[in-house]
Amino acid sequence: MKLHTDMQVNRIHDYLWEIPPSEKPGMLVPARIYASAPILAAMDRGVFDQVTNVACLPGIQRYALCMPDGHWGYGFPIGGVAAFDPEDGVISPGGVGYDINCGMRLIRTDLSLSEVQPKLDLLMTELFRRVPSGVGSRGFVNLTRRDFRDVMEQGAAWCIAKGYGWDEDLERIEERGCLPGADPAHVTDYAVERGINQLGTLGSGNHYLEVQVLSDKGLFDRSTAAVMGLTGRDQIVIMVHCGSRGFGHQVASDYLKVFEKAMRRYGISVNDQQLACAPFRSPEGQDYFAAMNCAANTAFANRQVITHQIREAFEMVFGESAHRLGMHLVYDVAHNIAKVERYPDGEWLVHRKGATRAFGPGSSELPDCYRAIGQPVICGGSMETGSYLLVGTDRAALETFGSTMHGSGRTMSRAQAKRHVRGEQLQRDMKQRGILVKAVSMSGLAEEAGFAYKNISEVVETVDRAGITKKVAELKPIGNIKG
Amino acid sequence: MSGTFRFLDDIALADMAFEAEGDSLATLFDAATQALLESLADPGTVGHTWRQSLDLEEPDIPTLLFEWLGRLVYLKDAHSVVFHRVSLAVKQKPEGSSWRLHAEVVGAPVDPATQALRSDVKGVTKHLYAVRQGGAGWTARVVLDV
Repeated sequence: MKLHTDMQVNRIHDYLWEIPPSEKPGMLVPARIYASAPILAAMDRGVFDQVTNVACLPGIQRYALCMPDGHWGYGFPIGGVAAFDPEDGVISPGGVGYDINCGMRLIRTDLSLSEVQPKLDLLMTELFRRVPSGVGSRGFVNLTRRDFRDVMEQGAAWCIAKGYGWDEDLERIEERGCLPGADPAHVTDYAVERGINQLGTLGSGNHYLEVQVLSDKGLFDRSTAAVMGLTGRDQIVIMVHCGSRGFGHQVASDYLKVFEKAMRRYGISVNDQQLACAPFRSPEGQDYFAAMNCAANTAFANRQVITHQIREAFEMVFGESAHRLGMHLVYDVAHNIAKVERYPDGEWLVHRKGATRAFGPGSSELPDCYRAIGQPVICGGSMETGSYLLVGTDRAALETFGSTMHGSGRTMSRAQAKRHVRGEQLQRDMKQRGILVKAVSMSGLAEEAGFAYKNISEVVETVDRAGITKKVAELKPIGNIKG
Repeated sequence: MSGTFRFLDDIALADMAFEAEGDSLATLFDAATQALLESLADPGTVGHTWRQSLDLEEPDIPTLLFEWLGRLVYLKDAHSVVFHRVSLAVKQKPEGSSWRLHAEVVGAPVDPATQALRSDVKGVTKHLYAVRQGGAGWTARVVLDV
């Protein structure tokens, strides 16, 4: 098999490959990539270079990992997972990503496709109006600096207290929508000024709000889906993909500069400037962790306010309360984050960058309603092809620090995609195929065409067969909002 | 020669990258700035109702360009604006210890109804970041996170 690397890549089984530490000076552990043979062959050189760079970081445990949706990123590959000893290991903003707590949220409804289809245009127009997206967009929530500090500290709970959500939402969000240890004292004014007006906004790039349909054919595990309130029969659900917006990016940028200097002080050298890191227990490491938690909580709050706006849009269009429409949260989970988590072999600082937590059945971290089935895992595909809902497994805890894939991953650059199709044409083509798209930027829409992404079904099949997550349902788009 | 830029296809699948060139520092900074402006919105569709001047000082040219582009991204979010044009000057301090940039930024509040908006750039990255001086002048390679 021809790969985009000269390194030795050994087959562990059909869906797992390993690069031994002998392949690069400084590797402390092997690098492991979850992929089918065709997915591995298509992976770019950056994946191999970057996952082996991660394997060189101080304090890394067991393996540096990459999921099947992996591609090059900044420092860590997208799809990267790495765990470090909190006592003598490092924390790296490059292992979290610029969009701190970028994540996915899924909301169910009692509505069916036949009820929504006649009003889809009105619904998408109303969602587009209520959920700002695109360049420089501002949210409807006017925050004082004091308010924004509370958002950083309280996350989604702040929103619920202000009426932007239901009490029950909290138990269906990773960490109940609030990471402990957030300290706004470690966030710069620049970050606050970038973020204070952006609560409740989608952003642009690959972020979206999507109305989807779950058909009977899309149900792979009917009983597990039923626990989540998903029954098929052309049921309508809503998926949201966004994060901490400019605020999180500024936090990451600010601390990359801090860490570049700190590395000299602590005698740490890395293979890539974007892997800048500091000992987790150092003042710099703890300051970044406190600021990162602020950004993570703001992202939970962002998706919570967007959920409120979605519920109001449905209420307006369908003339029923969101409660009567059954608009319960299925789950909200991060895919760009660093957290201290307990495993059978110890307590580790787990970095997930473009990778999703996937705790198995029985985990004490899960709410009562999901403890028997495992944690819901939401994986977004391209706006043309669809998305998947999966659940975590015990095997993920043993092999991947309770982690799995997060999406489909790009195969084509934004510029290439724009040369293949114009946004206006793509919008018309998708409408003919029953997918109504509202976009602020037509060029941005063209960049997100389905052909620019990997086939998500092949990626999902890989994690399912590798046993680190089990697929539950496939969700097909009928309406999409892009920035 | 004035500065020029081109977007790069092959080094940032999920994001955007460009290479800027100029026969002088001034034209290099102009070209890199224009690349960022055009990544955000078509400057020809943006009015000039919002203005801000700013000054930066950094120890070297690569850091000055990096911080300057990052400052534009900050202005975009903090003021919810996109940009029509930027006039700027780059000078070395007389004692040669650092570099200074003075810029006059002109733009307008974001308005999707009248402006051709493009990508909501979230930041400038150090991934493959390079500023070099060669025989023909200066070049910079920049990857933007979107």
